[in-house]
Amino acid sequence: MKLFKNRTFLLFLPVAIFLMIPFYGFIHAVIQSLGGEGLAHYEEILSSERFLSSVWFSVRTAGIATLVSIILGLGFTKFFHPLLTNISPRLMVWIPMLFPHFVWGYMVILMLSETGWLPQILAAAGWLETPSNFPVWTRDPEGIGIIITYVWKEVPLVILLLFPVYASIRPEYYALVDSLGGNAWHRFTTVDLPHLLPVLVETFLIIFSFTLAAYEVPALIGTTFPEMISVLGYEWFYGSSWDDRPLAFAAMVMTSLFLLGLTLMSYYGLSRPRWRAMRGDRQ
Amino acid sequence: MILRKAFFLILILLFFVIPLTALLLQSLSAPWRFHTGQGIDWGWQGYSTLFENPQLWEATFISIWIGFAVLFINVTLGLFTGKALASYPYRGKAWLEALLLSPILIPSLAIAMGLHLFMIRIGLADTFWGVLLIHLVPTVPYSIKIFHNSYQQIGKTMMEQPHILGAGFWTQVFTVELPLLKPAIRSLTFLTIVISLSQYAITALIGGGRVLTLPLVFFPFLENANTSIMAAFSIWFALIPVFMYIIIESLMMFLPYSRLPWRNHR
Repeated sequence: MKLFKNRTFLLFLPVAIFLMIPFYGFIHAVIQSLGGEGLAHYEEILSSERFLSSVWFSVRTAGIATLVSIILGLGFTKFFHPLLTNISPRLMVWIPMLFPHFVWGYMVILMLSETGWLPQILAAAGWLETPSNFPVWTRDPEGIGIIITYVWKEVPLVILLLFPVYASIRPEYYALVDSLGGNAWHRFTTVDLPHLLPVLVETFLIIFSFTLAAYEVPALIGTTFPEMISVLGYEWFYGSSWDDRPLAFAAMVMTSLFLLGLTLMSYYGLSRPRWRAMRGDRQ
Repeated sequence: MILRKAFFLILILLFFVIPLTALLLQSLSAPWRFHTGQGIDWGWQGYSTLFENPQLWEATFISIWIGFAVLFINVTLGLFTGKALASYPYRGKAWLEALLLSPILIPSLAIAMGLHLFMIRIGLADTFWGVLLIHLVPTVPYSIKIFHNSYQQIGKTMMEQPHILGAGFWTQVFTVELPLLKPAIRSLTFLTIVISLSQYAITALIGGGRVLTLPLVFFPFLENANTSIMAAFSIWFALIPVFMYIIIESLMMFLPYSRLPWRNHR
């Protein structure tokens, strides 16, 4: 079937052309971060207090947002997936997906800022003396507003990605665990987890890399210090001084390399024979 | 089961339905001041002030054009690649999938910054086409995933039949594959358009502020518009994907074997 094989490669041709866009961009970002001066720019940012605190803040905020989204989405899907087979509850769960991230971020400001709806309602109900007694959850130095926005936006995505997997797990597996005397925890670890693991890992990578490096939400709902790495990179790129541009490239390239390393590690881990055997993969 | 259903409804209402309703109500009334004991002051001021802004209409049209173009290229790329992946039985497939996913794992800001000089050199910076190209980066990996899954669900036998009956490549695409891919195209429509509408940083970078899309109008608006106008603007953001979905849905009625609402069905 040599002919068929050739045609398959023809089908891959358009996407190969498309992939040149991101890869060319990435390679040029690497070249410009070096700027003919070796690793000087990397050394400069790695000794910059502002950059290091931004890295820690970004990884921490994105990590918390991703883990919380996945745990909540997983719990929601596990508990409610029989109810999601109908179309109208599913549409309601996906309401946040209709809005861009920064619009949902604005929504969080509308609701939870010190003059927002929730503090106003609490004050009107007499639970708060004035709306300004409400804790500062937006534009706060802890990144709470960023985390709330991302979790709210990403939980529906997690549900969207996990729901088909849960719908495809055959109930006989649970019956098998029951008849062997397993409890709910065993059901989760021996039936759900092997089925879900590839999707969970991929979901984690997608959400984590997005929340780590997206500009819009932290620019809207974050503070100036500490700032997310993307905000810092954007500022360095567009800043008053041209000398800062290579720093922007170095910062974004380092973020990319970190994410690529994480991806490679996860895929390597997933392809280990133990997980394949648990999934019943015979590839 | 009833308890579970009630719990489900409370969660959905609290976190998804009520916020949307509140946003809708806020867009139709003056900014709320409940704690001072004022009631709700209804009116269309939010929308009328928003629509008076000439930039809004320009940005809306440009965003819609970019959205359609991005969607069209996504469907084409997703169709070819999804089909190729579904008929690709070899080892190393997981790595190929990882490679195809990588454009959304590398920060799009890094890619856009790297492409900036190149775009200037070939004259695509500050143009519609440059913005269109950069919007493909965060969308295409999703399309490939969705189409790959759909092709796997359709199954190989369904693809062999038209081949055996002598259909050419494009006949097969239009009479067999596209009608079966309708659900995938629906999810893709929403996904790509919302992602394209979400891009502020990379649009500003490659478009240089000259290609005016909706996010580029939204961010400066935040500084000086009141909550009613901003709520109306937020609703506007959600109406655009819905509007484009209706157009795509009506276009899909022209695909073979579609149910046409004005014809009788058993």
